Amino acid sequence: MRPMAPLNWGLLPPSFLLPSSTRSLLSLISLSAAPSHTTIRTIKSVNTPRPDRFAHHPKKPALNSTSRAALARKVATTPLRTGLLAQKCGMTAVFDPETGKRTACTVLQLDRNEIVAHKTREKNGYWAVQIGAGSKLIENTSKPMLGHFAVAGVEPKRWIMEFKVRGKEGLGLPVGQTVGASWFSVGQWVDVKGISRGMGFEGGMKRHGFSGQPASHGQSLMHRGMGSAGGSQGSGSRVLPGKRMAGNMGNESVTVKNLKVLQVDEVNGIVVVNGCVPGPKNQIIKVQDAIGKPWPAGPMKLDEIIPASIGPAAAASPA
Amino acid sequence: MATALASARTGASRAVLLSSKPPTTAAKSLKGSKLADAMHRSLYPHLYQQGGGSAPNRKIRQQMGTMKRYKQVEAEREARKVSWFRNKTRTSSINKLAMQPQKPRAIKKACPDPVAATTASQLALHDSTGARTRLFDRTNPECARVGDILLVRQRTGEPFAGVCINIRRRGIDTAILLRGQLTRVGVEMWYKVYSPLVEGIEVVQRAQRKARRARLTYMRKEKHDRGSVENVVRVYLRQKAALGSAEGGKKKGAAAAAAAAGGKKKGNARGKKR
Repeated sequence: MRPMAPLNWGLLPPSFLLPSSTRSLLSLISLSAAPSHTTIRTIKSVNTPRPDRFAHHPKKPALNSTSRAALARKVATTPLRTGLLAQKCGMTAVFDPETGKRTACTVLQLDRNEIVAHKTREKNGYWAVQIGAGSKLIENTSKPMLGHFAVAGVEPKRWIMEFKVRGKEGLGLPVGQTVGASWFSVGQWVDVKGISRGMGFEGGMKRHGFSGQPASHGQSLMHRGMGSAGGSQGSGSRVLPGKRMAGNMGNESVTVKNLKVLQVDEVNGIVVVNGCVPGPKNQIIKVQDAIGKPWPAGPMKLDEIIPASIGPAAAASPA
Repeated sequence: MATALASARTGASRAVLLSSKPPTTAAKSLKGSKLADAMHRSLYPHLYQQGGGSAPNRKIRQQMGTMKRYKQVEAEREARKVSWFRNKTRTSSINKLAMQPQKPRAIKKACPDPVAATTASQLALHDSTGARTRLFDRTNPECARVGDILLVRQRTGEPFAGVCINIRRRGIDTAILLRGQLTRVGVEMWYKVYSPLVEGIEVVQRAQRKARRARLTYMRKEKHDRGSVENVVRVYLRQKAALGSAEGGKKKGAAAAAAAAGGKKKGNARGKKR
């Protein structure tokens, strides 16, 4: 076996090993000839190394797997201000006095909405407002939650949900503050999110709109079945993932986008939105500014709310 | 059956059995209860320590005492929880306003039925006099019913008259279904009673007798079809115009004129069609 060459075989020995007469020339040599680093002679790889997702360097382009990048990506779709929690009360209609057009609408009612907490970038990694609605007996609230409410200085809440906001200016409402229906303005657009009615285990006809099978022509004991679930041997003799079948229907979160606010009544806590809203009556609903429309010039803070004592008569006029 | 009941009683609730004396006639059941007592005594001797025959009574008293104590403890615990929460709110609340915790008023107390409130505001807007509501109010003896001939004057277009064969009462969405004829073809029209496009609804002719159905869909059959109501409406409009002019037409002048104009329009149209 050949003796291994030391790695620094091409380099000068340390200066203290050199004769003292040549030491004055050492600086010149090191500047001109000697490389500043150890050179290892190998076969150079043609593969450029895969960039490390986590090794960030200011000179490199910004990484997109960080929380900062994630927030930046969602800037366009994160509302500027918080939404509120409402209960679905039922549907009715409004007529436009000018055109006479009838619009089906859903009545939502806001019940004791209060700010329970703020989520901040420094502490929680994102900006959000935690809203509580309704009320709950102290006896029926767990002690950790009681502590949470006590810090906010609010009574125990039946529902608590978070609304993400874009930045610090979205936290305009202080913790413990009560917000009413006049947070929304007539004519603005909102997105509405709620849990749809649960239908239970449903067949393909109801769940996905399959056409079922014939009623007659020799059909035997199979009229509402889904039929074939896929090809046979030529297609792999398997059911493709994602094949639509019978299963649990409803009872899932549904967002309805771009509903117009037709009426706002601060006194009665009523917000009337155009069209229908998921879920049964008394379903708790998240109402927030529509992300598909320009952000409304609505109030960002409490003192910006137009004195909400719009009388019922004024509030009654539909948009 | 009596025995079964008694045995069930012995099994389920001793208190009932003790408070009401067991019937002497059901000797068998008594025997059964004695057996059950004996079994119970052997199983739970600690409940029968003091006293002999009246032990079950004591047991119940003991149980009641336990229950009472349990409830007391529960109540104490709840009270402690409430006071703990109030104290915590006072000490650690972020906003100092909450020093006096004010309980916000439930919105359900201000407005128990928001849909009704919305409907009421719409009714106030579209039916400020309440005339339409009264016209279709069941408590009103003068109300319009199915079987009546109604005339709907509209903001645009001719008035339409027909037999009312259905009234769909849904608050602001209340609607009527009129069946008439246009160019000798049977036509049915739904009209929203409170729509701003409907200017007026008039009862042209009352039904001869009260209909015994809520929906007169049988009128679609040839046998029962009323056919054209044109003649009835023409007579009605003429009478109305005459009345209006006889009364001097001070108050009702405008309305009568409008009605007459409507009638005239209708007349013209009819003339064209024929």
